[in-house]
Formats: sequence, C-alpha cells, structure tokens
Amino acid sequence: MQWMHKDLLDIDNLTAQEIEHILQTAVPMKEVLARPIKKLPTLRGKSIALMFYESSTRTRTSFETAAKILGADITNFSVAQSSVSKGESLLDTAKTLQAMNIDLVVIRHTSSGAPEFLAEWLTAGVINGGDGQHAHPTQALLDYFTIKDHLGGFKGKKILIIGDVLHSRVARSNALGLKKLGAEVTFIGPPTLLSPEMKYLGVKISYDLDKELPGADAVMALRLQLERQQSGLVPSIREYNRLYGLTRERIEKTGKPTIVMHPGPMNRGVEIASDLADSVQSVIEEQVTNGVAVRMALIYLMIGGGTANVVD
Amino acid sequence: MLWIKNVRMVDPSQGISAIGDLLVKDGRIAKTGERFSEEDVLAVLGVKKINQVDQVEGQGKYLFPGLIDVHVHLREPGQEDKEDIQSGTRAAVRGGFTSILAMANTKPVVDTRAMVEFVRHQAQRAGKARVYPVAAVTKGFLGQELVEMVDLKDGGAVAFSDDGKGIQSAETMRLSLEYAKLTGCPIISHCEDNNLAGQGVMRKGEASARLGLKGIPASAESVMVARDVLIAGETGGKVHIAHVSTKESVWILRAAKKLGIDVSAEVNPHHLLFTDEDVKLTNASYKVNPPLAGREDQEALLEGLLDGTIDMLATDHAPHTWEEKTRPFAETPFGINALETVLAAVWQELVLKGKMNIEKVVQLWSVNPACRFGLEGGTLRAGTPADLVLFDPAWREIITAESLESKAQNTPFLGKELQGFPIMTWVGGKIVMNRDHN
Ligand SMILES: [Zn+2]
Repeated sequence: MQWMHKDLLDIDNLTAQEIEHILQTAVPMKEVLARPIKKLPTLRGKSIALMFYESSTRTRTSFETAAKILGADITNFSVAQSSVSKGESLLDTAKTLQAMNIDLVVIRHTSSGAPEFLAEWLTAGVINGGDGQHAHPTQALLDYFTIKDHLGGFKGKKILIIGDVLHSRVARSNALGLKKLGAEVTFIGPPTLLSPEMKYLGVKISYDLDKELPGADAVMALRLQLERQQSGLVPSIREYNRLYGLTRERIEKTGKPTIVMHPGPMNRGVEIASDLADSVQSVIEEQVTNGVAVRMALIYLMIGGGTANVVD
Repeated sequence: MLWIKNVRMVDPSQGISAIGDLLVKDGRIAKTGERFSEEDVLAVLGVKKINQVDQVEGQGKYLFPGLIDVHVHLREPGQEDKEDIQSGTRAAVRGGFTSILAMANTKPVVDTRAMVEFVRHQAQRAGKARVYPVAAVTKGFLGQELVEMVDLKDGGAVAFSDDGKGIQSAETMRLSLEYAKLTGCPIISHCEDNNLAGQGVMRKGEASARLGLKGIPASAESVMVARDVLIAGETGGKVHIAHVSTKESVWILRAAKKLGIDVSAEVNPHHLLFTDEDVKLTNASYKVNPPLAGREDQEALLEGLLDGTIDMLATDHAPHTWEEKTRPFAETPFGINALETVLAAVWQELVLKGKMNIEKVVQLWSVNPACRFGLEGGTLRAGTPADLVLFDPAWREIITAESLESKAQNTPFLGKELQGFPIMTWVGGKIVMNRDHN
C-alpha cells in the first residue's frame, strides 16, 4: 500500500484499511525495539521538528525515541526557550520551519485545530501530537495496536472508555477509529463530563460503570484533572472514585480476562487503583512501548518511502 | 437634481412596489410616480433645461430607501488597524447602507459627550454614510456606573449599549432601562451570560464536539433575553435585543410582544445563512459572537422575522485584521466583516430562494430601524432626505481583499462570487457610490 497522506491530523481522515496498515507496519518496528542495538538507517538525512506548545514529556520522548531509532535528525522547539514564548505567531513559526526545509513536524498545542492550521501552511508533513480537546491520533493508534495485540482484533469487541470524556481528545480519536474497525465503544462518566453530543461518534453513552462492565473486553480509564473539582464538574474525588474508579473487584464484573488501559499519566487511587494498574491485566506499560513502535511506523510511512516492507 | 427613471421602486413605508420614476431636488425626494414626461420633470424640479438634471436609467433595477444598519463596529478611535470611520462608512455605502449605528466598544469606549461628538465629526469628514453613535450604558464598559445619558443624547447618541460585552448585573440593566426613559432612546442589549458562555468559541452542540472546540450553550443568550424583557416589562423601559441567534430567544420575544413589552430585536444575516456545521477549524471568519447556531434556530429566526417577532436585520459588522484572524481558531477574535457582502448574500440566499421577498428585506433593513431608533430615512416619501440605493439584481462580483473598501477581510465570502449588488448609493441626494466608476 502506497501511503497517500501528507499529514496525520485526526483518525477520521483514515480508512480502516489504512489504520490496519499502520498497525502492521508497527509490528516489525516493535521487534526492532526489543533488540540490543536499536538503530535503523532508514531516515538518515531526514529532519523532524518537535513543537510542543503544551508540556508532555511522555509523548515528546516517545516521538523523539521513534525518530532517533529511525536515524532522523531532530530539532526540539520547546516552548520555554524558543521565540514562541516571545509571542511569535504560529504562522511565523510555520514560515520559519518551511524555510528550514524540515521534512516532518510533530505539533502538540492547547488550541484545537493548531495542527490543521500548520498543515495548511507547510509543504512538510504534520503529525498531530495532541491538540486541545480535538484529537490525539497517535495515542489512538497505539491503543489500537495494544488492543489488537491482546484481543486479536476489533470486530464485536466491547470497549469502555471511562471518565472525563468531555475534555478528552484521547476518547474522541479512539472512538473514531474503533468504530471504523468494528468495535463497540461505550463512553462512561458523570453527565458533567460526558455531553450527549458525543453520540455523533456512534458510541453508546452511559453514566453507570457497573452496569456496563459485564462482557467488556477492554476498559480504558481517562485521567481526571484534579482541577475539575474546583470548576464544579465533580463534587469530590472521593465520589468520583466511588462511581468511576477502576479497582480489582470491579473489573471482575466483566467476567472476562479484560485488559486495563490508561493513556497516562495516571492518578493512582483516583481513576485507577494502584494494584490494578500494576496487575497482570494491566497493559499500561505496553502501551508506552507500543507508542514508540506505532510512531516509528507512522514516521516511516510518511517520510521514509511508504511501504510496509521494513527490512534491516 | 436627479431623475431616476423606469425603476422598480420598493417602499414598504407607503406600500409601494411598482415601476416608476423618482425625482430629487435640493437633497430631498421631490416626487415619485409612474413615468414622468420631460415637462413634468422640468416643472417639478423648477429648471429650464433637461441637461441640468442628472438622469439615471433604472430599467431592470430596484430603488430602495437607503438601508439602515443598527449594528456596526467602526473601531475608531483606538483600533484603526481593523477599521476606521472613513473605511467603514465607505464600506457601508458600497453595501447599500446610507445610515449606520456605530457601537461604543472602541478604545476608549464612547461614554462621554466629547467621544460621541468625535465620532459624528469623523463621519461628517468622511462624507459617506450617516453615522449615529451608540453610547455606552456604563462608564468604561465596567457594568457599574451609568453614563450621562442625557448629555450623550444631546451630543448625538441615539441609543445606549455596552455591546461587545453583556451587562452581567441585572440591577445595572434595570437601572439603565429606568434612567434611559429620560432620553427616549432604547438600550441595546448584547445578551450573553459570561458564566454560561465561559471560554467557549462556538455554539455547543455536535459540531463543537466534533471539532473539539469549547462550546457556548444556547442558554448563554436566551436566559439574558428572558431577563431583559422581564425587566423591560416591569420598568416600562425600552429595550432592543441585539443579534438574536437561538430559537429559545425567539419564543421569549414572541411572548414578550404579546404581553405588550416595549422590545425590539435584530437578526444578523450570517445567522440565517450559516449554521455551526459550516464552522471550519482553519477558517476563523466563521467565528462570531453569538456563535453560528443550528438548523432549527435558523428556521425559528426566519419565522420570527416573517411574523414580526423580530423587527430588523442588522449586520454586526465586526472587522478584524488578517493577522488576528490567521491563527488557530480558539485564539482568534469573534466577528464577521459584513457590510459589503451582506445584501448580495441575502439577495442570493433568501430572496432568490423564495424565503423572503424584497419588500420584506427593505421593511426589515430600512423602514423598521428608522422607526425604532427615530431616524430620518426609511422611506421614499416626498420631502424626506434622498437616501437611496439603486440595486442591480444581476450584478455579479467575486469578493476579494482588494475589492473591499473595509480595511478587513474577515468574511466567509472571501474568494467567492456573489450576485445582486447596489450599484449606486445616494445620501442626501449626493451620489456617494457608483460601481460603474470604481
Ligand atoms: Zn454584541
């Protein structure tokens, strides 16, 4: 399959076939990660800019690692040091990148649509590393990879996404692709964090975690920002935990060897109990590894030639 | 001296919609009627030779009383990079507007008589559209102390509004509606509850969920509309609701009018032309406040205009610089640049599609605003100032940054072709715009 997309801005631009293609490409990438010497010459001479307008060590490090293993040169524009903090507009930053002949830009931004904005101005490819409440496609892809790895596929699988769906780009992007791949997705959370509009995604909306657990193949807890209590969206962390906190006892209600996921960073004891996070059912650490593999696959497809025939 | 011939005159103030001629003498309409002969014209105008009279052939065209727009942001003083009174009034006459109400949210705000007089003075200097200043309701737009309404009215203000911001304190709104009785001028209310609107950037709904943009619920507007009509009812004050955009607001206004409350309201054409489904992440010219709403709201607004619940159309012309609008959506200011495109858009999308006839458009955009705000114009009656628009329904134009008189270009129609434009505009009998001579 020839890779046709200049950018990866959200999952809705991808077909199920294209998603599967990325996941397939990530399989040999993951094998490379398991080797003692992790280095491929594939992208030697290519340059990638990482622009993180919103701090995220985890996502930035994952992209950085992926790019390094593929042999690309990396330029980090961290907001604190660059002209960004001096009020340079995103437009001027885009023009600067254009002038430097960068091959690929990874952007994370607090404003929804910032990656689309950049993509309109750049001939280089753009990967959305998370924008506002809009999209986080690489997180979704690594979640698909993890689900496929453990459940064998997506058709008819029951997947619960739990918590602060309202503010979650992870939930949105995940649901978009999971539906395309044939899974059944349920969003669960309190009404203040789960607006009925989300039904447009074709997902089930529920306020009752315990009712939805039976039969679930995968449960994904979302991070609850602790300031949601101050904004009046949840009365207390205590009550949130009582209603939506994942625990070992609770997860038994699925009646299945359900996998437990979390995009990180976790609030242990809030949305997920520590012992569950560290249990055998938890795939949270694998998600991190898979994140590097999937990002390698994506970068490779976008600027490395575009086939799935990775060889060393 | 002017003789416009053989033109379809539309004047709902006299129930006229017929082909005929119109004569102008000394800046005022001298006579209208069916075809005049040269002798008639010479007699009415009191001249000896016909070459002393400018003649305009109006076949296939419409002649309206000049449109009156009660909601325009001219940005001067303080934000002349977006627009100034000269560019804004040039844009106005190019769009068919002979009178406009200029909002007070300039820098500084128009809250003193000196400021009101400055705005009028600048408008006279520009010599295009008539500009009627709207003064602030509260000093500095702080929502606390009332401005000197009587002195401001004496300086030329025709209404009071903190538009750009909603008055959050219900008590301040009550006091302003009471005190404004001394002036007879309406309070124009920008209905927005800041708590409900929060940091939202578009209408809350499926489209905002899809784009991952923070939503503004419809109630952020409608609860304030309810509050203000109730206070107007209780005080007997005179209120005008700016930019109505939700179906709930229309219900409230319909009920308020049944109760005899002294309320009027406007709709901005962009709320009739677009919905939240049109909002694009990378095109902030669809970002406006109140935000573009849903299909049902759009239908309710049109119904409200047709049944008289809503009294007028108004642009809410809100120019912003290219730099301000060329950013990620959430970081851009609210507002649509409308004066020069809006009549064509209404013609093309509402009149040609049979949703509203041209007589109704003139009623809503000329007759009713003149009546509500006590302005001259809004009629072709003999003896009134000759504020006129000659409209060519076949004229087509592609909207470009270069073609706009406005300094700004934040219109969803940029790069698109529209049909149906004013080709000549007169203010007080003086020609101020002629598309043929551009
Ligand atoms: Zn307003």
